[in-house]
Amino acid sequence: MEIKTPQGIHKSKGGLIRSFVTIEKGMIKEISISGDFFLFPEEAFFKIVEELKGIKAKREDVEQKIKEIYTRENIQSPGTTPFDFAESIMKALEG
Amino acid sequence: MEEWRFIDFSLVDIRDMMAMDEAILKSDEGNTFFFWTPKKSIILGFFQKAQVELNISQCEGYTITRRISGGGIAFSDDRCRQINYGVVGTIDNELFPMDIIESYKQICGVLIDTLIHYNLNAAFRPINDVVVDNKKISGNAQTRWEGKLLQNGTLLLDFDIEEMLRISNIPKEKFMDKKIASIREGLTWLDRELGEQHDMEEIKNVMKKKFEERFSIRLKTGSLSEKEIKLTNSLLPKYYSHVWVYR
Repeated sequence: MEIKTPQGIHKSKGGLIRSFVTIEKGMIKEISISGDFFLFPEEAFFKIVEELKGIKAKREDVEQKIKEIYTRENIQSPGTTPFDFAESIMKALEG
Repeated sequence: MEEWRFIDFSLVDIRDMMAMDEAILKSDEGNTFFFWTPKKSIILGFFQKAQVELNISQCEGYTITRRISGGGIAFSDDRCRQINYGVVGTIDNELFPMDIIESYKQICGVLIDTLIHYNLNAAFRPINDVVVDNKKISGNAQTRWEGKLLQNGTLLLDFDIEEMLRISNIPKEKFMDKKIASIREGLTWLDRELGEQHDMEEIKNVMKKKFEERFSIRLKTGSLSEKEIKLTNSLLPKYYSHVWVYR
């Protein structure tokens, strides 16, 4: 069964992160993130959103995946960290 | 003394302006400083979703587009009392630092010097704001491309907070760490700070002069090159498209 979460809002030093997640069998099925943060290179953001699909809806798994993408894609996001994205997503998951 | 290009696009349709903005970054015409004033419009940051950030049913009459840099909504009402600027510069670790926050600070220095000229207590507030007495008067957004940076920003001369709250969907979390209770206490604009309206051209001239001083260069008025115009034309469909704005 699919569950669509309410908005998860987290404010990092670099901006607001607003997450919406759909979960199925404990896994992230759909995810969308909106916010006024900065992230370079910008296109790498889509990889984060895409690669979180299919990940276990648990903080460690989510944060680990994002960290991995940060390293691989050489992401810089002043004032915003993988922890902040995970925090916003967890707030969505926890309602 | 080194000369950099200067262009004043004046009052523009924001979709056309964002196409020119990207074209200047992605062409190779050297460091450039430019001004424009947006017609009634909303520009979304690269990572913002229109459906999340805006009260779309209230946005009738506004031209909406998206820019290639992150950050928040840039909103302009029909009073059009805003100076918007763009800087395209080669990152040289001197005039334009590699470090993102340092480079914001460097360019925002032009706005701070301008506000100090008007005897205001202006300061940089990382990551990307300029404040007067801790109230935001200028928002700025930067992106980078092949060793160059593009920074856009606005200097508010007049601003309708109630109208911005009507068209946007800003949660209270946005202001929680800024030691202010609400957006009403967190924003200001030049006309309010000075208690009178100054001529926009006069303020732009001060900004130009402060820019020249800060970078130790001379600004020479120019225009878009043929290559930039071609690139602009090829970028226009994107900035006018539903897919780009409502993705």
